Amino acid sequence: MKKSHIIALIVVAVSIGLMLSLTGDVNTYANFEQATESGDRVKIVGQLSKDKEMYYKPEEDPNYFSFYLKDDVGTERKVVLLSEKPQDFEMSEQIVLTGSMKGEEFVATDILLKCPSKYKDEEIYIKKEQSEI
Amino acid sequence: MEYIGEHLLPGQIGHFAIILGFTTSLLAAIAYFFAAQKRNLPEYQSWRRIGRWAFTIHGLSTFTVIYCIFHVMLNKYYEYQYAWAHVNDDLPFHYTFPAFWEGQEGSFLLWSFWHIVLGWILIATAKKWEAPVMSAFSLVQFFIGSMILGVYFGSGESEIHIGSNPLMLLRDVMDAPIFAQADYVEKINGNGLNPLLQNYWMIIHPPVLFLGFASTIVPFCYAIAGMWTGEHKAWLRPVTRWSLFSGAILGLGILMGGAWAYEALSFGGYWAWDPVENMSLVPWILLVAGIHTNLIARSTGYSIRSTYLFYIFTFILVLYSTFLTRSGILGDTSVHAFTEMGLENQLVLFIMTFLLLGLGLFVKRYKTIPAPQKEESTPSKEFWMFIGALVLLFSSILITVSTSLPVYNKIAELFNPAHEALNIKDPVEHHNKYQLWIAVLIGFLSGFAQYLRFREFNWKKYASKFTIHSAAALLIAGVLTYLTTQWIRVGAWQYLLLLFSAFFAVVSNIDYLITFLRGNLKAGGSALSHIGFGLMVVGIVASGLNKRHISHNKFAQQNILDAESLEKNVLLMRGEPLFMNGYLVTYERDTMIGNERIFEVNYDKLDKNGQVEESFQVFPVALYNNEVTKVAAFNPSTKRYLDKDIFTHIANLPSVEADAQARKAREDSLNYQLFEGLIGDTIFTSSSYAVIESVNRQPSHPDYVPQEKDLTIGVKVAFRQVEVDTVWYAEPMLVLRGNLMYNYPAQINELSTKVRVSEKIIERYFPTDEQLDYTGFRFTEGQQVNFNGYQITFDGFDLKPTHPDYETVEGDIVVGAKLSIVSLESGKQYQARPIYLIRNNRPFNLKSQLDELGLHFRFLNIDPNQKTIEINIAQVAPERAKVPIEIADNSFRSDFIVLEAIIFPGINLFWIGTLLMLFGLTLSIFYRRQRKAAAA
Repeated sequence: MKKSHIIALIVVAVSIGLMLSLTGDVNTYANFEQATESGDRVKIVGQLSKDKEMYYKPEEDPNYFSFYLKDDVGTERKVVLLSEKPQDFEMSEQIVLTGSMKGEEFVATDILLKCPSKYKDEEIYIKKEQSEI
Repeated sequence: MEYIGEHLLPGQIGHFAIILGFTTSLLAAIAYFFAAQKRNLPEYQSWRRIGRWAFTIHGLSTFTVIYCIFHVMLNKYYEYQYAWAHVNDDLPFHYTFPAFWEGQEGSFLLWSFWHIVLGWILIATAKKWEAPVMSAFSLVQFFIGSMILGVYFGSGESEIHIGSNPLMLLRDVMDAPIFAQADYVEKINGNGLNPLLQNYWMIIHPPVLFLGFASTIVPFCYAIAGMWTGEHKAWLRPVTRWSLFSGAILGLGILMGGAWAYEALSFGGYWAWDPVENMSLVPWILLVAGIHTNLIARSTGYSIRSTYLFYIFTFILVLYSTFLTRSGILGDTSVHAFTEMGLENQLVLFIMTFLLLGLGLFVKRYKTIPAPQKEESTPSKEFWMFIGALVLLFSSILITVSTSLPVYNKIAELFNPAHEALNIKDPVEHHNKYQLWIAVLIGFLSGFAQYLRFREFNWKKYASKFTIHSAAALLIAGVLTYLTTQWIRVGAWQYLLLLFSAFFAVVSNIDYLITFLRGNLKAGGSALSHIGFGLMVVGIVASGLNKRHISHNKFAQQNILDAESLEKNVLLMRGEPLFMNGYLVTYERDTMIGNERIFEVNYDKLDKNGQVEESFQVFPVALYNNEVTKVAAFNPSTKRYLDKDIFTHIANLPSVEADAQARKAREDSLNYQLFEGLIGDTIFTSSSYAVIESVNRQPSHPDYVPQEKDLTIGVKVAFRQVEVDTVWYAEPMLVLRGNLMYNYPAQINELSTKVRVSEKIIERYFPTDEQLDYTGFRFTEGQQVNFNGYQITFDGFDLKPTHPDYETVEGDIVVGAKLSIVSLESGKQYQARPIYLIRNNRPFNLKSQLDELGLHFRFLNIDPNQKTIEINIAQVAPERAKVPIEIADNSFRSDFIVLEAIIFPGINLFWIGTLLMLFGLTLSIFYRRQRKAAAA
């Protein structure tokens, strides 16, 4: 057997092994119901419930921010983010959270916001009059 | 409509240059194609001449386009969409550059700019390779040119557009009522540059990164040329220099991105495995693999095929990376990708064309590419270098596959709309897990392979030397690893192994440099690069594994969710030191400069006895948006040591400080209560008591900027609490500017109390004469009268009177009356100075008023014959003289910051290591060993 064949075999074997182990790191986005059932650390995609309370009082705890999120099947749950309130949070179109359910609350440690592009909401700025401040 | 004030010429020139540049790139590709086909025929010269001319015109046209865009941006011609979208009146000159490449069109042009510069260098230096190389090269330019073409076919739903023209007029792109005005141009302002990008890194990082991306085209085109002409060995020599250059520059560009993220953005690190970062790293890894097989091929004749593939895929991956970052497909997973622009199909066509061109040619020529019949000997350098290249290939495949999940999801959705999108659970952990083993392998290989020889023919004799050096290096690496564990926490055995392999790479390559190259640094490019790699890995292990938040205080924060709490942040009140992990940290003050709010945070490092060992300040920044209404970003500040960095940034501000809207909402939500009292009276709130100290007609307030003709009034209130010695002063004020009234409240953070002057004060303290009931008096000098319980004496004339409302005008005849007032009730004395003046033969008077008593005096007339004066006196009703203030004692404190502080030990090893790696690559460009002589 030639050396290049041995190498090729090893390469194929390692590739298959890696691809199999890769699937272990892959997940679909969960919803709140699935997160409650499994109890695992999952990723959830949803929209901010803008009518519900957002709570961030850094003077009480700078690492506690809570809000309500509606997942993609429409279930709404309270979410607790163990971190500061992110910039431009209210403007987000979509929120991706990583965390797990604790009782009725979803405790998240990681957050990614999808915000509309700066120029999507296009409005033309009119030059301010000189006399105004 | 005939518009006024538009500058249409740069647009027209630009449009023409775009079309000209686009067509000449195609012409150059075709002409060079024929030149390459007829390379041994007499027609060659004339085809090449056409190609050169076409490419030169293409370059000049593209430069013209860039010039036109800069012209409209620098002159702030907002009638152009690109200028309007990216600059505004306030933008400083040097930020015109980031504004230019902020947009997709600009970044395509930056890419194209570097291609043209590289193309001209190739024309001048490539000699016989010019024609085939420049043919493929010009074809790439043709595709990039199409991205800024802006041509539309069809209409409505079926409209197809090719490219996005950066010189479109705003009114052609947008529909807005303002375009109904002929002079709209002078009325609009631009959007300006995103404040996040107003940073010097944004000026230097993109050009370097894009030069890195652009330079990968050269190895690609050489690979095409090699396969095209069938000269599979000849191209390997000229290409090496270019690949090394590309590896160094692309590496530098990626590194600068990491440095920018670490230094100026608040990501809390230099690498986050973000898809955009990943996809710039992958081409570099493939390029480095290609450089290795290229060297093997030049020294031994093995690995020519893999060199072709590596160089082809490096460029394809650059295109793929362009696609990922520009198509909007990464929206869910990346924090810094562009948004969609409708160029996706064009980008896919771009990638497919060159993938098929490269691979098609490779398959077609596969049989003719030479490869030695005999296999490499196992203990030879070429064999283990090739294994190393394979490991790098694995690394890049793993990163690419994981990063491409969004693409897979998109494709799967096409076939199955119910497809559930897949994602990586924890990208950082995922990538680290695999790349750790890659790094371990590379560490060992770069040491062992360095000791081996090309085309090993006498292993028996050489084996002992190899073994001695390897064993010694392993031993020293073991000792260094042990010593490192005494400095930092390493933890799991995998990391120990990683550290060990990295040290082995460092030690063995230093040894190689000294004993094999006899310290000849010029020949040591490869050894230096591998030392750099090792140091980089040590730096990653040290700073990544031992990255430690110091910003938490177990006693100050009893967290309900202790187990999972990240405890990243602490709250710092201004002026109140907080102890955290060996440091006493104080938020001292902050200053606003432009749209940057700079915070001064003091660190006192305490020793075991609680004594201050060392003090230093850091200055993190809150960057506001261009309108200064809202915080756009927080920039960190880092204290650097040789062995560690202390990284500090503001995680959050009180919402009222971060956002003007929140400030207004908070102000509206406060429960103000009205209190009224005479000066000196005490009033009681629910938590404290306060004395109205004085009313001031020339007050000041940190937020108040005086203007002419402002009427101002301020109240000074002293707050005290029972059994507390401290007195807190609040000095709110009110401003009347024409018909507008501005309220400037004052906050006492320690008492969570906010005070403002009630609007009622206006009618009380600025009463009109109709509201006053004057009584007339006649005085001779020294005469006394009684009025409402006050004894009023005319003490004489004041011939140089002053009065807050009086400004001297030449020709004025002016005189004041000195009045002294004694309260019969309290015996207190007061002074008043009403003024009488004659200006332009007309009499005027200016009244004097005593706010505490509510007394008003007017000096109406002088009778020179009888030496008497006429004074009108009025007093407002006592309840009307009361000072009305409003107090809210439920206001939240707003004098704090939420701080995140991280220690990165050994981070300098990372920077030194990476720079050394790139320096090694650069060194190799200029010095290549005479391998021919060595082989012979």
